[in-house]
Amino acid sequence: MHELSVVIEVVKTVEEFAKKNGVTRIDRLVLQIGELSSMIPAYIEECFPCAVDGTTLESTRLEIEILPGNARCRACGKTFNLLENKGACPACGVKDAEILSGREFMIKEIVAC
Amino acid sequence: METFKVMEIKKSVYEGNDRRAEVLRAELKEGKVFLLNLMSSPGSGKTTTVLRTIEALRDEMRIGVLEADIDSDVDAKTVSDAGTRVIQMHSGGMCHLTADMTRQGLECLGTDGLDFVILENIGNLICTAEADTGASRNAMILSVPEGDDKPLKYPMMFAMVDVLLINKIDAISFFDFDFEAVRERVTRLNPGIRIIPISAKTGEGVAEWAEWIRTEVREWKRA
Repeated sequence: MHELSVVIEVVKTVEEFAKKNGVTRIDRLVLQIGELSSMIPAYIEECFPCAVDGTTLESTRLEIEILPGNARCRACGKTFNLLENKGACPACGVKDAEILSGREFMIKEIVAC
Repeated sequence: METFKVMEIKKSVYEGNDRRAEVLRAELKEGKVFLLNLMSSPGSGKTTTVLRTIEALRDEMRIGVLEADIDSDVDAKTVSDAGTRVIQMHSGGMCHLTADMTRQGLECLGTDGLDFVILENIGNLICTAEADTGASRNAMILSVPEGDDKPLKYPMMFAMVDVLLINKIDAISFFDFDFEAVRERVTRLNPGIRIIPISAKTGEGVAEWAEWIRTEVREWKRA
């Protein structure tokens, strides 16, 4: 349910955008989801048909790009992927890093036709 | 042949709600209604805390309550019995409230003549932290039986609130709950946070909590 409410929000935003730009048919919608965001791509895909039902996005294909969850170690400054390294800096082992990317949930673009 | 055109949107999905929350916050400020968003997991004592809060402040503020739940009206009944203006909101399965839903709730409640509205959010420590409701201040309750490891498990919630109530403090001797560990974990996530131990059951700490609300309302009015 968490994903559904957010996908409905996405559909609203895209519809608004399409209306403003005179787009009537959308072939593809591209979303970007960070690895560290609380959104699960598989669930987004699952509830997408339900969220677009009866909207201008009804026949739109969904594409999801994953953004890496990268962080910078606060102790030694190394940049690394948080998930691959289980949160610990691969250079010095310290588990205290500042998140640089991966929390995003973005509507990247649409392909209109 | 059909021509395809790529149109860049580059917009955060949360942006729409964030914007609507800012608008609501500004309108509430204009109308002099202080909205407190109260969050916690289910069973932490939110409703009992709300009742205690009403008891402590009803002589000086006109209070309204928005009870948000997935279903039922048990909480609204309890609060209504205490003589406060209250409505029950049903999210219909949704796990958090958005700024739009909060606005609808406030419209149904009617904020005319109210100084202070408590939004008792849905019992959930995850997505309630992500969706800005438009509240003037955010508060959360962690109850002793839930354990002192919760700031480690749900860091976002602890990082975004202005105040943390540690409820059921009267039962601390029955649980392995390390108060100092919680303080240390929480302040690392959120250095400016205020932590108030309370017992909604016995009333311990409620005076300090009421004083926090008074101070915040005063400062919010002045800002």
